[in-house]
Amino acid sequence: MSAMRVDAKVVMLGKESVGKTSLVERYVHHRFLVGPYQNTIGAAFVAKPIQVGDKVITLGIWDTAGSERYEAMSRIYYRGARAAVVCYGKSTLGKYNKNTIKSKRCYRQVKCKSESIGAQYFETSSKTGKNVGKFYWQLVVSAVPSEAFVSLEETGVDLDQKKDSYFYTCCHNN
Amino acid sequence: MDGESRNATVPWDNAMLSPVDRLRSDRADSPTPGLVEGTEPGAVQRSAIFYHAQSYEDLTAEAENEAQRAPEPDRPQGHNEDEIDALVGEKSVERRLNNDPSSESSTKEEDVSSEAWRSHKKHVFVLSEAGKPIYTRYGTEEALSSTMGVMMALVSFVEAEKNIIRSIHADGCKVVFLTKSPLVLVGVSKTGQSDKELLRELQYIYYQIVSLLTLTQLNHIFQHKQNYDLRRLLAGSEYLTDNLLRRLERDPGLLLSAVTCLPLASSARDVVSSSLQAAKAKNLVFSILLAGDRLVTLVRKKDQFLHHIDLHLVFNLVGSSSSFREGEGWTPICLPKFNTAGFFHAHISYLEPASELCLILVSTDREDFFNMSECKQRFMERLSKRSAYQAMKEALKCPSYSVEQVGIPELRHFLYKSKSSGLYTSPEFPEVYQSDEEQERLMGLYQDLHSCLHHPTRPLRYFYRCSETENLLARLTSGFELYLCFSPLATKALAVSAVDKLLKWIRKEEDRFFILSPLTY
Repeated sequence: MSAMRVDAKVVMLGKESVGKTSLVERYVHHRFLVGPYQNTIGAAFVAKPIQVGDKVITLGIWDTAGSERYEAMSRIYYRGARAAVVCYGKSTLGKYNKNTIKSKRCYRQVKCKSESIGAQYFETSSKTGKNVGKFYWQLVVSAVPSEAFVSLEETGVDLDQKKDSYFYTCCHNN
Repeated sequence: MDGESRNATVPWDNAMLSPVDRLRSDRADSPTPGLVEGTEPGAVQRSAIFYHAQSYEDLTAEAENEAQRAPEPDRPQGHNEDEIDALVGEKSVERRLNNDPSSESSTKEEDVSSEAWRSHKKHVFVLSEAGKPIYTRYGTEEALSSTMGVMMALVSFVEAEKNIIRSIHADGCKVVFLTKSPLVLVGVSKTGQSDKELLRELQYIYYQIVSLLTLTQLNHIFQHKQNYDLRRLLAGSEYLTDNLLRRLERDPGLLLSAVTCLPLASSARDVVSSSLQAAKAKNLVFSILLAGDRLVTLVRKKDQFLHHIDLHLVFNLVGSSSSFREGEGWTPICLPKFNTAGFFHAHISYLEPASELCLILVSTDREDFFNMSECKQRFMERLSKRSAYQAMKEALKCPSYSVEQVGIPELRHFLYKSKSSGLYTSPEFPEVYQSDEEQERLMGLYQDLHSCLHHPTRPLRYFYRCSETENLLARLTSGFELYLCFSPLATKALAVSAVDKLLKWIRKEEDRFFILSPLTY
């Protein structure tokens, strides 16, 4: 018996309580859990099957804990990942930048930074679901090996990604 | 031990799941049931699941050795020079029902100079040897930095004289210190519990912290930076400690150093166990199936034992967090009673999304996630083919039983622990103990009895206590520990005769309440 078949490994990264788990919850279970904040312990693995054309592709999402305590473990989650999603929270950013102008500048900085390393930038809301579907679709397109798309993309669009993909996402969890 | 040597002579066939009939009838006919360890109702028929399951003393021995000697209030004053033991007031026998305003969410924002903060019946503080706050049960650590500084000053002051501060007794309040380098734990209690009991609770908190970080890492951090703020590494884990403290007040298992099982027909439990046994892997050390706060079964690697403290830490981790409901959890966990130096890696997942059944697979290898995930799949496949899964789901609908089933008049509640298996059983709380306050009060009474039975210098075998609200009987033998709670109308004669009757009833039901044939792989 073989281990679970995963077509693309995706790792969620970011400081604690920015909303990594919420973003996964919204995508996988289409819900937003209200209630007291619960931090992730260690990491949680979710396999999400996606219909792409006539194929089913399985995305293996590693939702890692943000706490510094688990940093030593992070290597095993990065390894072999097709995509890394770096999350930050609008509210956490705001905390350090009470001044609105400063905070706006900060967003620009994040956006610039993400562009400079060749990452794609998304603003999403796990609460309303805004942009979440779009974001994950982009993720799938970039992270899943192009062979999986062959039947879909017979016209020959080159989706081959040699290097890992990076995504910057801003989670509005309020 | 008598029972052990007899067990050893019985030729056990490892491939067999059900116990040999001859032995079973031997056990039932034992002339003095429960007086000898290994013959009491609920005793395991093979090697025990737990390491050190035998007695409470085993558990606290280490704490006492480290504290060198337990404080003995009755010793002549002259011998107590090396202890700060200003014993003021006497121990209140009946625990006062404290008006504890513990609204769980607001406890952290509490004003530490307020009367409400002072009036909590039990405070717990953890600090580093540099006096830096690490944890407080109520209020914020920042607001308490000077208080914790004073605590550390007290510890250091006594240490400078080559002594150890253990407790301060004053004004109906006990302050207990536990130095576990590089941490210092301080408990401030108005509950009337003995120093020994309080120390035991602090010990649990210490192990909780070690389970997150390992002792090796703790030592390493503080060797490099004495004034390190450990809260950075513990961020987000405070609620685990909060919950553990709540469990210490409410969970008989922590008091008895035992765990309780989901009542389940032994045929069904044996199938679940053997399915887990079959789903083994090279680095798998323990497979634990929980139903809420109850153990369904535990399969372990041969010669590896799980200590019940470690199991309680696992219960606390799983019970405190909804995190494992999101997917398959994979987390490093140190089991401090097994090894304080290293991490195990636990695969934690529920059998079904809304199920109470949670499977924990403990591996030695951090890369083992998919192997463990596969073990779970194999277990599920095996299980779903059998009727045992359905039986387990049925059993979950009534995870407890009512005391009326025992048929002893005036009996309201009891705790029974089989020492050789480290498992206990207890009925659900009856009508009179439905409120949280009443349940905590009853637990407090049991704690008092427990303290008396396990008194460091004058341990007792029988203890009977009458009060306006209930009559209590505690009984301790080398085989079992029993606490009975009767209505105030019960007589002593009735209570004493109830012991035998109850033991017989438990013997009759032991197949359901206990894991009689634990498996290994």
